[in-house]
Amino acid sequence: MNMLTGYIEQTDGDIIIDGYNMLKKPKKAKKEIGYMPEGVPLYTELTVKEFVTYMAELKKVERKERKEKVQKIIEQTGLKDVQKKLIRNLSRGYKQRVAMAGALVGEPKILILDEPTVGLDPKQITEIRNLIKELGKTHTVILSSHILSEVSQICNKVIIINKGKLVAIDTPENLENKVSNKNCIYVTVEDLDNKMDGIKEKIEGIQKLELVESNEDGTKRYMIESKEGVDLRKILFTELAKENITIFEMKKADSTLEDAFMKIIEGGNK
Amino acid sequence: MIAVIKKELKTYFCSPVGYVFIGLFLIMFSIFFYVDVFQYSSTNFEYIFYSGATILTFITPVLTMRTIAEERKNGTEQLLLTSPLSITRMVLGKFIAATIIVVITELCTFLYFGILSFFGTPHITTALVTLFGFLLLAISYISFGILASSITENQIIAGVITIGFFILTWFLPNFSDIFTNFSLINMFSKFPTGQIDIADTVTFVTFTILCLLLTVIFMQRRKSVR
Repeated sequence: MNMLTGYIEQTDGDIIIDGYNMLKKPKKAKKEIGYMPEGVPLYTELTVKEFVTYMAELKKVERKERKEKVQKIIEQTGLKDVQKKLIRNLSRGYKQRVAMAGALVGEPKILILDEPTVGLDPKQITEIRNLIKELGKTHTVILSSHILSEVSQICNKVIIINKGKLVAIDTPENLENKVSNKNCIYVTVEDLDNKMDGIKEKIEGIQKLELVESNEDGTKRYMIESKEGVDLRKILFTELAKENITIFEMKKADSTLEDAFMKIIEGGNK
Repeated sequence: MIAVIKKELKTYFCSPVGYVFIGLFLIMFSIFFYVDVFQYSSTNFEYIFYSGATILTFITPVLTMRTIAEERKNGTEQLLLTSPLSITRMVLGKFIAATIIVVITELCTFLYFGILSFFGTPHITTALVTLFGFLLLAISYISFGILASSITENQIIAGVITIGFFILTWFLPNFSDIFTNFSLINMFSKFPTGQIDIADTVTFVTFTILCLLLTVIFMQRRKSVR
């Protein structure tokens, strides 16, 4: 991330931003990037408006358009009410927005956001996420995050890098599907007569029946695997009832991006 | 570059730093003015600047120690380095902003010149030459201060390095004559007599350029080493 934005020089390879090589034409390449560093460093002694104007000047926004553009961005990021306040006195959520405004100014084609929602409360997180989604319509947004649910919510494409090596690049849905066990069902049952083991023979299509855990209240949780494309839930429901086994919960296994991540990373380490 | 100058000046005057520098200098300057002028009843404006150079030695770090060290510590350095601004321009901007503060201070000292012209006829050309020399001394001090600020994250360390270096160059000639030509304050001492020494002028300017260049190189190296 630091290398992409030109903060550190790369150790190997080339960085090409919108056709400009970062080493050879740093000015043009950097102009296409809006960067919001992790931990939101800001000039706390300036007011919001002064800061955004300064960033606009640094990014060489034309003098004539500057005032107008700064005002537009301040409105876009919802900072209009606080634009005359010192950044020092703002809350964390607002600071995040100010940093976002700083990255947005100068109309960069690419926005790079490093951990944009760290340290915010749930309301601020949703606000920032919506803002990012909004920006995603007009900009290329590159976002780094450790919160994977956030990633699967916002992003169209996920890149997983493990120890400096690219291990996966795909849409979040595809990644989730890759590791998901579609033919897996979890049932929690109360099985007083211990008939559950016999079920496997009774229902055709069960490939595997496994006890996952026994709960304290006497219920047991099983994992049932079937052949591909067969949905066993309906049969299970009727058959278990016949056997006098009460179903407390029945759930089709779905996987999250987290599972996908773990699987991919583990696979890479082996 | 103008953006950086504007922002730096804003910081100097939004925080106490700018006022502390100018105020402290003028207070000390007034004391020396009183001692030199009233007690010896001389109307020599230039000679106060010998003391002025001493004051400058101690208060330059006030201006320079935060310039780069603070940016690095707060992480705002990232904003600068990832913007389309080159490092050279950034350093130059900071240098020029600090120099402007010194120029403002020098303009304030004209007040004392006015007071003196009530009682006698101080020599205007000599005064201007002195101010010119003083500015040369100031830019070499500032450039070294910025260099010190660029090698550390800690403002205090930057300040101490700066003062330490100045005092060293000041007192070294006392140990051996070899160092006479290395003493920045000594070089300044010819200006209040009314002569512009070309050799000294060149030395001041080269020293300044050298320090700024080293600052740029240090920052560039940090980029690739980290």
